[in-house]
Parts: sequence; C-alpha cells; structure tokens
Amino acid sequence: MKKSSIFGLVTIAIAIAIIIAAYSGSSTYGSFNEAKSSGSELHIIGHLDKQKELFYDAAKDANYFSFFMKDKKGEECKVVFTGTKPQDFERSEQIVLTGQMIGNEFHASKILMKCPSKYTNDKVEFSEFKAKRANI
Amino acid sequence: MDTAFKGEHLLPGQLGQFFVILAFASALLSTISYYFATTNANKLDDSWKRIARFSFYINTISVLGIGTCLFYIIYTHLFEYHYAWEHSSKSLPVYYIISSYWEGQEGSFWLWGFWQAVLGNILIWKAKSWEKPVMTIVCLSQVLLASMLIGVEMFGNRIGSSPFILLRDAIDLKASTPIFASRPDLYKNYLTYITDGNGLNPLLQNYWMVIHPPTLFLGFASMVVPFAYAIAGLWQKRYTEWVKPAISYSLFAVMVLGTGVIMGSFWAYESLNFGGFWAWDPVENAAIIPWLTLIGAVHVLIVYKNTGHSYFTATFLVLISFVLVLYASFLTRSGILGDTSVHAFTDLGMFWHLVVDVAIFLIISVWLVVTRWKELPISKKEEETYSREFWMFVGSVFLALSCLQLIIVTSIPVWNSIFKTNIAPPNNPVTLYNVFQAGFAVVVTLLAGFTQFLKYKKTDTTRFFITALVYFVFAALITALIVYVTGIYHLHAVFTLVMLGAVYSVLANAKVLADAFKGKIKLAGSAVAHIGFGLILVGAVISAGTSKVVSQNITGEQYSAEFAKRNDPKENILLYKNQPVKMGDYMVTYMGDSLSMPNHYFKVDYKLMDANGKVKEEFMLRPNSQANRKMGLVSSPDTKHYLFHDLYTHVTMAPLKFDDEPQSGDGHSEADDDKNYDPPLLHEVVIGDTIRFREGYMVLKGLNKKAQVQNIPLTGNDVAVGAQMEVVSHGKTYQAEPVYMIKNGSAFDFARKVEDAGLKLRFSKIIPDKGKVEISVYQQPENKRPYIVMKAIQFPYINFFWSGTIIMVIGFLLSIFRRNKELKTV
Repeated sequence: MKKSSIFGLVTIAIAIAIIIAAYSGSSTYGSFNEAKSSGSELHIIGHLDKQKELFYDAAKDANYFSFFMKDKKGEECKVVFTGTKPQDFERSEQIVLTGQMIGNEFHASKILMKCPSKYTNDKVEFSEFKAKRANI
Repeated sequence: MDTAFKGEHLLPGQLGQFFVILAFASALLSTISYYFATTNANKLDDSWKRIARFSFYINTISVLGIGTCLFYIIYTHLFEYHYAWEHSSKSLPVYYIISSYWEGQEGSFWLWGFWQAVLGNILIWKAKSWEKPVMTIVCLSQVLLASMLIGVEMFGNRIGSSPFILLRDAIDLKASTPIFASRPDLYKNYLTYITDGNGLNPLLQNYWMVIHPPTLFLGFASMVVPFAYAIAGLWQKRYTEWVKPAISYSLFAVMVLGTGVIMGSFWAYESLNFGGFWAWDPVENAAIIPWLTLIGAVHVLIVYKNTGHSYFTATFLVLISFVLVLYASFLTRSGILGDTSVHAFTDLGMFWHLVVDVAIFLIISVWLVVTRWKELPISKKEEETYSREFWMFVGSVFLALSCLQLIIVTSIPVWNSIFKTNIAPPNNPVTLYNVFQAGFAVVVTLLAGFTQFLKYKKTDTTRFFITALVYFVFAALITALIVYVTGIYHLHAVFTLVMLGAVYSVLANAKVLADAFKGKIKLAGSAVAHIGFGLILVGAVISAGTSKVVSQNITGEQYSAEFAKRNDPKENILLYKNQPVKMGDYMVTYMGDSLSMPNHYFKVDYKLMDANGKVKEEFMLRPNSQANRKMGLVSSPDTKHYLFHDLYTHVTMAPLKFDDEPQSGDGHSEADDDKNYDPPLLHEVVIGDTIRFREGYMVLKGLNKKAQVQNIPLTGNDVAVGAQMEVVSHGKTYQAEPVYMIKNGSAFDFARKVEDAGLKLRFSKIIPDKGKVEISVYQQPENKRPYIVMKAIQFPYINFFWSGTIIMVIGFLLSIFRRNKELKTV
C-alpha cells in the first residue's frame, strides 16, 4: 500500500474518532424528572421561581447559593450551587444548568443565565426630571 | 400619518444611509466591472478596469463616509439614532466612543468593510496582473459586507441592519411607554424624555477593547486575500503562480489574526472574571478555527512552492480558511449559539443572510475546484518519507484535524437545528477541548521540532536520526525538570507530552536560529515563529494546568459535611472590612472601597509574611465592580504581576448599591440607622476609662466643653459637650467625638460613627451626681458590616504565554520580509 493511502486512512480514522468522541462527550438537555431517574449529569433549561427564596449569605458561607428553578415541563426543584450568587441573578429570564441530582437537590456545576440584556430588550427606560424638594 | 418630531437631527443619518447604499452599489459595480475586465478577451481594452477601479475608490470613500457619520452621531450624542442610544452614553469618554462603535454588529461589519477597503486599495496598487481576478473576489466580499448594513425592506424582508436606523423606528415607543398611550400629543416631543443612552457595556470599557477588535477584524479581512488569489489561480488557470503572493498575504493574515486573538485573550485575562486567558468559548473558537487552517495552509503552500507536492491540500486549506471565517461570523452573529454562549450576539434577523454569505463563497470554491480538477498540478509522485515536505504536509493535516474537532463540538447547536436533534454541549467542554487539542498539539509540536532536521526532497537518514534523537533526549531531560518543578505530572498525561513536544520544538528551532545567525539568515523567521509557538504552549500548559485558587475557604459551617466533601475546595473567601484573614501565604485585608463613577474599587491589602511573622512584601490590589442599573453588576479583576507568576484577584460578591441609588447615609432617620447595629451597650465612664468592644477598645480621653455641631448655633444657656474617644481596632487608631447638647432646655445628642471599626458612638447622658458620662456603643453585627467575597488565583509562568506570542509575531514578520523579497510579481 502506498504511504499516502496509509496516511489518508489514518486521517479518516482520526476524523471518525473525533466525531464519535464529540458525540459521546456531548450531554443531553433534560428535565428534573429525568435527572432524578438517571442520576447522571445533564443540562436543564428553565427559569427562576421568583416567588421562592434565593438563599445566599456570605457571612454564613460564601460558597453556597441555593434557589428554586422551574424546568420547561413546569417541574420545580431546589438547586444548589457552590459559589457566589451570580451577579444580577434575580433578573434572569432563562437559566441553563449543568449538574446532577444529589438526593432531592440539584447540584449545579455551571449556571448560564440569560438576562434581558441591553442586546435583547426593546424597552426604553424613560427618565423624568423632578424638582428636588428643598431640605430644611 | 406623518408626525413632525421635535429636536431630531436627521441629516447625519440620511447622509450615512446614502453612503451605505452607495457603498453597496459601488462594490457591486466594481465586482461586475472587474469580472468583465478579467474575462475580456481584448487585453488592450482597459475600460472595464477603469470603471472597476473608479467604483472601488467610490466604495472606499463611502465606507469612510459611513464611519464619519456614525462617529458624529455617537460623538454628539444623537440618541434619536438607535445605535447611539443603545451603545453609548453621555458620560462615555472619547476613547471609549471608539469601542462603542464596534460593540454592535453593524459597527463591527463596518470595521471589517473598512479593512477590506484598505486591503483592496493595496491590491490595486500592488497586485499588477493579478488585480482583475483577485479584486473581483475581494469586491464580491465587499458587496456582501455592505449588504449587511443596508437595512432596507425588500420583498417583505429586511436586508441587513443599518446603523443609522432611528430609535423610534427600531423600537415601538408608543407601545413600550405608557405615557404616549395616554398622551399621544407628547409623542412628537419624545426626544426630550430620552436624556441618555444605554451606555457601553462596562466590560468593554477597557483599553484593550479599543485595539483588540480592529486587530482581529484586520485579521479576518486579510483572510480574503489568499482566498482571492487561490480562486484567481483556479479561474485564470494560473495554477502555480498564485502560490507565491498567497504565502506573503497568508503570513500577514495569520500574524494579525493571531495577535488579535491573543489580545482578546489578554483582555479576558485582565478584565473578565472567568479566571483565565482562554475558556474555549464558542466565540473564541470561532476566531481560532480559521487561524489554525490558514497556519496549515501556509506550511503546505511553502511545501508546494519548494517541491511541487501537496497542491490540493494547499488550495483546499486556503479556500476553507476564508469559508470558515464566514462560518465563524455566522456562528457568532446569527444567534444560533443562544443557549451555549454568553458572549455571542443575538439574532438581528440576518440568519439567512449570513448563511447565504457562507454558501456563496463555498459554492464558488467547490465549483472551481471541481471544474478544474483534471488540470490541477497534483503530483503523481510520492513524497520521500525522510523529506521535509512529507512531514510538513502531515503537520498541516493534523492542524486541520484539530480544527475539525473544534468545529464539530462548537457547532452542536447547528447540528441540532439541521438534524432537529436536541444534543447539549459537553458537560465539561473545557476538559474535552483541552485533552483533544493537547493531543493534536503533541503531534504538531513534535513535527515542528524534528522536521527542522529534515531537508526538502531527500535527507541523509543516519544523520537525521542522530540529531533528532540527541535533541529529543535533551528535550526530555528539560521537560522532566519542568514537569517535576511545576507539578504538571498531577494532570492528564497528555499535558506532559505537550510540554515535551513544545520544549522539543523550541530546542530544535533554537538550533535553526543559531544556524541562521551563522549565515542561513533566510530560516530565521520560521525558527523564531516556531520558538514563539512552543513558548505559548509551555506558558499555557503550566499556567492553566497548575493555576491554583489561593482563596480556599474551608469554613461554611451551615451545610452538611456531605455537601462540603463533594464540592471541595471552595474558592471564594469572605473578607470583612479591616479584618485580616490568612489566605495561603498571604495575610489579606479588605481596606475599604473608593468610588470613581461608575467604578467601585475595593482596596485589598496583601501582606506576604515570612516564617517569623515579619512582613516581607506588601501591596494593594484594587479589583473593581460596576453596579449599573441597565447591565447589572460587573466585576473586573486586578492582578499583581511577577516575573514568574501572577496573582489574580476579583470580587465575586459585594453588597453594592446601584449607581443611581443614594449612597449610604442620605435620607435615613436615626431610628432606621440604629437597625443596622446590634442593640447598644451602655457604659458609664470617667475620663481615662477604657471600654472594650468585640474588635478592640476605646478610651475616653477627655471632654470638650466647646464642642461645635455644624449649623447649630449655641445661645444663652445652651451647652454642648464632646466626648473625645480614641478607638483602637485591628491595630489602627481612630478619633471620634460624639456630642451631647442642651439647647433651649432640651437634651440632644449627636452620634459619631467609626465606619472602619463598625461602630457608632453616642454620648447619651451626663450623670453629674456620679461625675460620670454615659457612652452608648453600637456595634454592627457581622453581616451588616461592609464585606466583600473574593476569589484569588495564582497563575504560574503565564509570562511565557505572552512573551511567546510576541516572539511568534516577530517570527511572522521576519518570514513576511523574507517572502516579500523572493516575490517578484508580474
């Protein structure tokens, strides 16, 4: 066999290996229910339940943040994140979590949040000038 | 219904829009004219060429016109324009106006078009016989860029997005603002309500953001030149001639793009808080992908020039590189990355427009290669195994493979949308990328090493094996030392191999450089670039692989041991103001903050202690945060740079007020203020007595009978007495003088605060019969005290990474000079 054919085959083999590795390394999007039943790491898309408490108290533990999230199917679960509360978390519209279920809590290793950022919102904030009351 | 709006400046926008249309039309005319100039059989007739050149000059002027109008709009704060309103604000300093220019997609398209216009003019000046076909392609690319800016409705769809769109057209003000629904008569005065723009994202308010995008886009723009040469070569059947000029332009493109990418990485390291210089974010990948393929292309182009081998690989890599640039801009600008990247742009309604852009150039490339296939000078002979060309070819293929891995994983959202699947990106993308890319890096660096000992065509095998092996043994020894000292052996084994490859590549190329000084000066460029590349990898592997979180926190008593065990180590540490905390080898103290709007700087004092507890070194870091109502809290790190490592600190959490909220103290009643403290402890004391409190003690030094309280004049029988307190807390002394006052027969007292010690002192009573005074001591409870939560990371040997970059760029420059000397364009 010619050297170039051998090298061509090697190249193709590596390319296939890359594709397989990319596919097997990829994760799945799921729900809290699936996370409970499978116990493996996955991605969950959902939104913050703003009615329930967001817990972060730096004085007690600077690396513990918990909140409640509803996934796309409407199921709710307590989420624990090892780290500080991401800045502006309350304003998030959508959250993508990576992590797994530990008991009844979902332990997130990564939080990606989408805020109604300046790129997406089409709302103008209007400011009005009010005369300051004189302080006596 | 036409409403006459008050206070709008429509001229600059109309002028700008005129230039946009002119830029598009002139680029189109130029493309068509260059096409006919190229295909014209009559070589003496240069009328098409004259039209083409003329319209390209018009295009250049229009592009400059667009830039000028846009600058004027942002500079004079014409918020009636959506772009100015969205990306700038009145408080923005002039040099950041430049950054706000390319914060939006339209501005960055403009930047790209600007550089392409510059390059086009250089080609008109330099390309000689290549001008016509090459410029046809460049102009076509310019047409597509200009079309992105048109922003005009055609066939029911808006084509492109114009930077000159008015705010009231971009946003339905009537719907979003209740006041106009109830008072439509106010609508014509809407501008009086818009007092300021959204402002520039605080993260982009950084000097690197002034120069990183122009460099990056010059890199992207210059990728079109080798592509255009390759197409021109196929089109005009000048199959071999295009290679030489393409080498120079490719070297220029990889040099500039590489510099731009690393500048972005330096910006991320200096001002983003993800704690590193590279995160394999899709946006970063999108920039590095075409760089890798063009690097591969440069190598096989040189192989072809020297030996006549690898023609197809060279053509393929040059063509695919530019298509990948367009694909990258599709990835980052179409909004398709939505759920996987925080950095990507959102869809401006240009999804299909961007797809068409990629498709046009892909189809042209494929079509030309297929139709010319039989005529391509593909060598039938095999390369020798012991020849430089064979292994350079292998290296280029491996670069392309590493690129393939990046593309496949980064494009997962694209596969989802094509195949209607629902695959999520990998859970640990960084590990996946690191391991894979490290694997390719091992092969590529080893090749970049031993190929230096091979000659083109045929090499003396014995001699090659001896030299290659001797250097390999040296490299292995040095690597062993590095791996042992830095602790890389704790990592995945592949990183040790990368280190070996990188060191080998540095050593082998150092030999070539040494030979270059002895006379073979031509080889200096590639040797220097390879050394730089090797050093980049050395720096990247050590600093990313062995970076250490210094701010390890093992407190956090509230949660189960189970939780602590699973999530160890914890990386954020809590610092109360003025309370020193031991962190690694350092004693760190949060000293307070200073406000320089809109930045909130936190002063963190670092003391490095030696064994005897003496201070060896002391310095202050000032990480900052911005609390911006529109963009939320944004933190930027501060870094202490040493020669061999960096200490990186950033604030992850702080009780920060938004910039439009009143700062502490204003408008609160005393009763409210007391809620910020624990219930007071009352102390009856005489002069000289000491009062202890949680974090120190205080002494009543004396009573000041002539105490003054601002704005309160004393008359007649009024009395004001000040208690002169000396407060000592954490080794610092503060003075405070609370005042007790009797005015018009009633008693008042004026509390004094010692913020740094978390204290409020009241002189609450005078007890004449005991000869004592009563001091009420209010202490702030821990969680009401000012604090920050911060993270500190140590990056060892990161300077290899930065200096490697500089060396590599110098190498590219030397190579460009050399190739230009060889170049005699006809």
